[in-house]
Amino acid sequence: MSASQSAVRSRAEAVKVSRTFDWLICFTLFFVILGGYHVHFMLTGGDWDFWTDWKDRRLWVTVLPIVGITFPAAVQSIFWWRYRLPFGAVLSVLGLLFGEWVNRYLNFWGWTYFPVNFVFPSNFMPGAIVLDVILMLSNSMVLTAVLGGLAYGLLFYPGNWPIIAPLHVPVEYNGMMMTLADLQGYHYVRTGTPEYIRMVEKGTLRTFGKDVAPVSAFFSGFVSIIIYFLWHFFGKWFGKTNFVQST
Amino acid sequence: MKLIKDKVAKLSFVALLVTVTAAMFYTPTASAHGEKSQAAFMRMRTIHWFDLNWSKEELKVNDTMTISGKFHVFAGWPETVDKPEISFLNIGIPGPVFIRAGSWIGGQLVPRSVSLELGETYEFKVLLKARRPGDWHVHTMMNVKGGGPIIGPGKWVTITGSMGQFTNPITTLTGETIDLETYNLSNTYFWHAFWYALGLAWLAYWARKPMFVPRLIAVDSGKADSLISPTDRKVALAFAVGSIAIVAMSMSSTNQQYPVTTPLQAGLLRGMKSIEMPAPTVAVKVDDATYRVPGRAMQMTLTVTNNGDSAVRLGEFNTAGVRFLDAKVTEDTTGYPDDLLAEEGLTVSDNSPLAPGQTRTIQVTASDAAWEVYRLADLIYDPDSRFAGLLFFYDEAGNRQMVMVDSSLIPSFI
Ligand SMILES: [Cu+2]
Repeated sequence: MSASQSAVRSRAEAVKVSRTFDWLICFTLFFVILGGYHVHFMLTGGDWDFWTDWKDRRLWVTVLPIVGITFPAAVQSIFWWRYRLPFGAVLSVLGLLFGEWVNRYLNFWGWTYFPVNFVFPSNFMPGAIVLDVILMLSNSMVLTAVLGGLAYGLLFYPGNWPIIAPLHVPVEYNGMMMTLADLQGYHYVRTGTPEYIRMVEKGTLRTFGKDVAPVSAFFSGFVSIIIYFLWHFFGKWFGKTNFVQST
Repeated sequence: MKLIKDKVAKLSFVALLVTVTAAMFYTPTASAHGEKSQAAFMRMRTIHWFDLNWSKEELKVNDTMTISGKFHVFAGWPETVDKPEISFLNIGIPGPVFIRAGSWIGGQLVPRSVSLELGETYEFKVLLKARRPGDWHVHTMMNVKGGGPIIGPGKWVTITGSMGQFTNPITTLTGETIDLETYNLSNTYFWHAFWYALGLAWLAYWARKPMFVPRLIAVDSGKADSLISPTDRKVALAFAVGSIAIVAMSMSSTNQQYPVTTPLQAGLLRGMKSIEMPAPTVAVKVDDATYRVPGRAMQMTLTVTNNGDSAVRLGEFNTAGVRFLDAKVTEDTTGYPDDLLAEEGLTVSDNSPLAPGQTRTIQVTASDAAWEVYRLADLIYDPDSRFAGLLFFYDEAGNRQMVMVDSSLIPSFI
């Protein structure tokens, strides 16, 4: 087949082929994004996402949106600027969560027998939807970075609270007070994750009393703005067609 | 077209592989059988476990057992390992086959990390509740920050029954009794499914219409703005506003349902109570120590002085959890793991009672296959070829005293 010959003969056929192409690309991209995002996220967010006794008001809230806004920002920039398709962030998060759930269910529960209520992943969907909508309505990278990045950071904690709040109910255990999440970490033995590597409730936000979560969320939002810019450019660069030889 | 299709198909396959690898890549370490591969000096010169007792060898799911004993934090802690200022009393099992229902050092519950002092001896206890049937090697274990896991002796324990019967009832401070094994599970599934469905709905809205090729053509020909209709904008706004509203509402209803929540508890526990060990009345000087590679035996020349008021005999040498006993002096009654017990492994040139005030130089040989099996002999390849261990002397009344020995070790290959 030579390149000069057209592959289709009628408009109807062209439409059909284009549609097939849509599904193939969507399917492929879903898994490509899943693979990249999942590996990146495990390396940067890792234990904060694996265990409920790492999901605290300070570091979990701060770290996860920052490392989680990366791929959504990059994928958005390709999908929006090249195709005007406003679902880059949602597609990334759908991929990530799919991969996370497969990993947690098959490996953490199926293979190692940690209960799922101890090792479920964090929810990023509210922030991803808002990020996509802001880019679509504003058609502006700067506005998306600033408003969307902030929203991504701010929506993370409340978006996960309905899932983790029940695990923050206190118990008295052999004369010590702890949350149910702490107790899960204590009960379900992890030989490779001793308690001291747990990075929770550390930081210098002591003056804010008990309202540290909103402060952490704001801080996370601000850093997410910067990371958004960075990864949006990565996406633009990566989405260039200069690599492909034109015919 | 076929060419492109093939390429895309190939790419999809690669992507799938990448994904599967990525998703399958990480499993939290399940194996606890690192004991033999751990450097010998780590096991001989850091934490000395002794007087260990595994309360059961077989138990049913939901039954409990304890591992209790003492550990001595070696005063000559190796320089290459961080000091145990931040340590965690763990348990070496292949994943959560038991749950750790409690653990104590010197009577203090230690769900968090603790600070240990060099040269001190501590009493400990770990309470385990059986969860998953099987034969499991259950080790004592101390994690030391900057030093890694220090694995102690292990014993095989059999759990019978079925994991489906396992329950973990906990009563919260709000007065509710829950089963921590399944608590909050349906709530977790519900919210994850809900948000995933919302994300899919957003994707589906855009996937209804042709996506990549026609839109790329439109964008490239400057008609990008025509691709977003006013309806699209309304739908998008509804999605965003709806998402924020759902987050706000679900958060406030959660707060109503769970008015009492506390932050995660963390922080180092200091001031662990150690055992008051009476100063030993037996003084031991190591004149020399050699390890005979072909004989799998360690030979020490010791000068022993009895400063007490009762005659003593050497009964046991304990290093890295391996116990070499002189059967004429003492025997094990606790069911200590066979592979770590050399009931007649200790030979003393003259083990007649050493009277008070006397000094004697003795040849002590500790020989057993355990030197090889537990790779303690690899000590001679360590950067700092020293050994350390505990000597137990017994007086006529059966009282025991513990003396540390610490010396360099010369290998002998003939
Ligand atoms: Cu073992």
